[in-house]
Amino acid sequence: MELSRETLRYLDIFLFTALPYLSITVFLVVSIMRYRQETFTYSSLSSQFLENKQHFWGLVPFHYGLLVVLTGHVLAFLIPRSILAWNGKPIRLYILEVAALVCGLLTLVGFLAAIYRRLNSNLVRKVTTVPDWILFWILLFQIVTGVYIAIFVNWGSSWFAAAVSPYLWSLVKLNPNTAFIIEMPWIVKLHMISAFLLIGFFPFTRLVHVLVVPNQYLWRRVQVVRWYGFQRAPKGQ
Amino acid sequence: MRAPLAVVILLLTGLAGSGNADAQAPADEFKKLCISCHTIGGGRIVGPDLKDVHERKERAWLVRFIADPQSMLASGDAYALKLKEEARGVIMPTVPGMTMDRARTLLDLIEAESVLEKSQFAGVQVSDRPFTKEDIRRGRDLFLGKIRLAAGGAPCVSCHSVNGIGVLAGGGLGPDLNQVFERLNGRKGLVTWLTAPATTTMGAVYGDHPLEADEEILPLAAYFGELAKDPQESSQASTLIFVLLGIAGTAAVLMIFDGVWKNRFRGVRGEMVRKSVERVKG
Repeated sequence: MELSRETLRYLDIFLFTALPYLSITVFLVVSIMRYRQETFTYSSLSSQFLENKQHFWGLVPFHYGLLVVLTGHVLAFLIPRSILAWNGKPIRLYILEVAALVCGLLTLVGFLAAIYRRLNSNLVRKVTTVPDWILFWILLFQIVTGVYIAIFVNWGSSWFAAAVSPYLWSLVKLNPNTAFIIEMPWIVKLHMISAFLLIGFFPFTRLVHVLVVPNQYLWRRVQVVRWYGFQRAPKGQ
Repeated sequence: MRAPLAVVILLLTGLAGSGNADAQAPADEFKKLCISCHTIGGGRIVGPDLKDVHERKERAWLVRFIADPQSMLASGDAYALKLKEEARGVIMPTVPGMTMDRARTLLDLIEAESVLEKSQFAGVQVSDRPFTKEDIRRGRDLFLGKIRLAAGGAPCVSCHSVNGIGVLAGGGLGPDLNQVFERLNGRKGLVTWLTAPATTTMGAVYGDHPLEADEEILPLAAYFGELAKDPQESSQASTLIFVLLGIAGTAAVLMIFDGVWKNRFRGVRGEMVRKSVERVKG
């Protein structure tokens, strides 16, 4: 079925002006409601206890990779001029882009390991719900398109700062201007649409653990954990 | 849920209203959309001189062409194909949101400007001083962003690539610019195009950050002119090198993770069994 240009135009308006507002509204409203009504479901529902060896190769690369990649997106949104200034010398641009690609690939490797584990460990499979699987496939799509864009639509750090950042700011200022991104390659547009969907889907999934990361662990006072029963008494007692 | 729903509806209706705010004075619209490729009475640049265009082709055809040039070309319209050939293969972009009505308004403007002795759209003054080595060097630095664009626009390399800028090449979002000097019909076409970039993305990105004529556009034209002398296409090797660097880096980081968490807890039951065995033995 071929969509007419007019239909596509309205679809673009919906996807790049209405959808982001819809997503962020659902995100805010449902996150707060869920926190108030079902406080104890605010968790990633760790399955580390059920399977621990493969878990390391999923959890660690995925989280460290993703943290850097997400921070990169946020920085290009907040301080686009500084990013462009840094990228003003090819060697610095290349260092930034290779580092970003490495983190993207770490995210992908970690995520594939996590999916493999969920499919192959019976115990973990049992505690995986339908929304979990939906979330997994959207996230996989998001990561794969991201890595694809990093490799084949260079240089994202620069053109995000130059074109995507002003588009996002136009959304923040409630005066959407889609001209910045509307002619971008479809793969880039799909990556953005699936990002909006993820934001909207966020509060219905285990992703809510992002909002309750125990950051205070980084600066709280040391806790002494004592194990009873296993230790032999030190010599001389 | 009622209050939030109301907020959503308000937002959506508000947006639908703001979507149609592109009605502009025809002269402003012409300036924004057309002058990068057309003059009225100033001769051909990339596209044809539009003076008296209504005498060359019937109005209904012109309206349809302005509204959607790409569909006309795709339909195999003979006159549209002839225009494309005359423009050396450069295709007129379809302007998002262009309607038959807006096209008619633009044609009215062109008709009115055509009868003037000198239209305000007779073309940008392009300096014809010879390019120097210094121009070419400066153009390259501007392209790469080593020298920042005065009005704060993003450097070309963010989205475009040319030969000879580095092992991983330049951006891949926009087209390769090695031959852009030829594509846009030389200095005049290129300079005019950069004065008011007509594609949607560049129009948006440089709309509020225009390039400066003497200090930026001319050196860039000099650089692109120099590049166009070498007909070599960009190589694809840079993508391969980039991917290999990425894979090598990923493997290295995975090894570092394995090292850093050497003493990680590898299982609950296994560990308990191991400790029990140790206790019994020891």
